[in-house]
Amino acid sequence: MWSYDKKLEYPVKIARPNPALAKVIISQLGGPHGELGASMRYLHQRYSAPYDEVKAILTDIGTEELAHLEMVSAILHQLTKDMTIDQIKKDGFDTYFVDHTAGLYPQFASGNPFSAETFASTGDVIADLHEDMAAEQKARLSYDNLLRLVDDPDVRDPIKFLREREIVHFQRFGEGLRKVIDDLDSKNFYAFNPSFDK
Amino acid sequence: MSEKEKLLKNVRMYKFAMIEAGMFLDTHPNDKEALEYFRKNKALAEKATEEYEKRFGPLTLRGAGEKERSWDWVKGPWPWEGEK
Repeated sequence: MWSYDKKLEYPVKIARPNPALAKVIISQLGGPHGELGASMRYLHQRYSAPYDEVKAILTDIGTEELAHLEMVSAILHQLTKDMTIDQIKKDGFDTYFVDHTAGLYPQFASGNPFSAETFASTGDVIADLHEDMAAEQKARLSYDNLLRLVDDPDVRDPIKFLREREIVHFQRFGEGLRKVIDDLDSKNFYAFNPSFDK
Repeated sequence: MSEKEKLLKNVRMYKFAMIEAGMFLDTHPNDKEALEYFRKNKALAEKATEEYEKRFGPLTLRGAGEKERSWDWVKGPWPWEGEK
């Protein structure tokens, strides 16, 4: 089970509202490479994971992704809480505002709502871990693209932290995959699925 | 019931009492009786957690890495596996 720590993993303190930035950063909340999908991906895959190391890494990274979901939410909240109607109109935030005001809703930057179609849980540890490594790279490149778009140092700072964590997670999943592969038949890694076949 | 199950049952009981009382206190923050009930169960939960972790391994990261030479957090069984 989980319990809540009343703190962010890394601090978020943004002085200036900026709905234009919120419009693109929201993709890291509920978009195709966002933190909601990341946490749900790992926390659902772990049940069929065959080794303690892989169960542990999916649990621990899935849990950290929940903390990242909270950090992205804090960024979005602080970018929008004191925005003016003029800013909303000028920045094109009106299409979000009409449905959600300054509330948080997990969606893609394009406006599509969050979808579980953004992740897989296959019950095959090789397929899952490869997906996880790709997902960490996709999240990393999304943060790289955001860093190209964002000038405000208050916003860049927590985004840089989040970007670094994607790289560490990629490394850990790679180590998990290696452990799985080492245990398989080196002449045919796919002869059986260690998540299902006994 | 095994010793492990018994100790875990205590942790569950006191932690659940904390969750339940905490929720009540969210909407009744000045209720002295509830506050006292929360404190009592918090102390019991801490003691029960310590007893369990000493013998059967960590329940949270906070309790991990205490005594064994290798990382005890990673050791199964995991809670969803239905093992006792």
